[in-house]
Amino acid sequence: MKATRFTLEAVDWAPWLEPVNPETATPAQRAALEASPQANSAYFRTLANDVDSLAERSPLFHAVMYVPRGLRRAERELATVVTSIVNGCIYCSSVHARRFVELTKQPEIIRALYEEGLDTPLEPRLRAIVDYAAKLTREPAEVTAADLAPLRAVGMDDLEIHDLTNAVAMFANANRLMQTLGEPVLPDNAALRPDA
Amino acid sequence: MTAQSPDLLERIIGVPPNSPLSRLRALRPDIVRHTQGSHDVLLCPADPGGLPLQERALIAARVAEASGHVALTRHYRQLLAERGDPPQSRRLDAILQHADRVATAPRTAQPAHIEALRAVGLSARDIVALTQVVAFVSYQVRAAVGLALLAEGHAA
Repeated sequence: MKATRFTLEAVDWAPWLEPVNPETATPAQRAALEASPQANSAYFRTLANDVDSLAERSPLFHAVMYVPRGLRRAERELATVVTSIVNGCIYCSSVHARRFVELTKQPEIIRALYEEGLDTPLEPRLRAIVDYAAKLTREPAEVTAADLAPLRAVGMDDLEIHDLTNAVAMFANANRLMQTLGEPVLPDNAALRPDA
Repeated sequence: MTAQSPDLLERIIGVPPNSPLSRLRALRPDIVRHTQGSHDVLLCPADPGGLPLQERALIAARVAEASGHVALTRHYRQLLAERGDPPQSRRLDAILQHADRVATAPRTAQPAHIEALRAVGLSARDIVALTQVVAFVSYQVRAAVGLALLAEGHAA
């Protein structure tokens, strides 16, 4: 069954076009899949249909989300959740909301964002991150230097703002791939699929 | 005249090599490398498969334009002018319709939209490549906006 609500539960993803079969994958496809976060997922096997773009995207994604120093990992995850909420990407928001909760032990922040919306009361640093992520997602051409002021006011340096920007930008990308090449499905249904 | 960076984002924003912003980006070498690398394999692939270079340039220009990014729109329009407009066809209409939807309303996507692309002859690889071009430019626009704001801060 298609997943239709933002959730902290695990969600699966079902492709709308045929994923690459690991058995018949070319060496280049196999290498690109090995370098992806989950070589066997239907999502990365779908992207492997165009192998050269997957081979560039996986290390880009990894660097944006996990490179050390700069913006804290949990704050990158939060930014991607906000971007996914604005774009309506149920699958991405589920994955990265759970990463945020693993890192912070604060599911209440995610629940507030899901249930009350992005305007829910937050401490100033998280407020600044949420506002910047939402605006850069919705209307990138309208973002101005004034939108950096709240980030500066909570003490962010250039590297942190750079990391935050890249996390939001990466999910402008991830959400679009996830939302238009397949759909989020509830795990009950996923368990019935042979390749789940 | 300052030397031009070979990096597209830095050229678009006008970041001189060895400037503070260029040094900031150098702290994230994999992001610099694979942002440019993604651009190269999507916009200038050695083997474009069933999605010709002209169409890739046109798609990128439309996404940049829909996102309201003036400099990237100009860049991709220029690329399109160099490559020439792809001929009008039902196939191209279907491609552009898909590109516009992925760029501006991804949550409205349906399986039937993929079928519409297959019906005009696109392979699974072409459909993924088309979607990746749109997703990449959507990324690039936001990365460019953020970088330009940091550049303004340094100039001030």
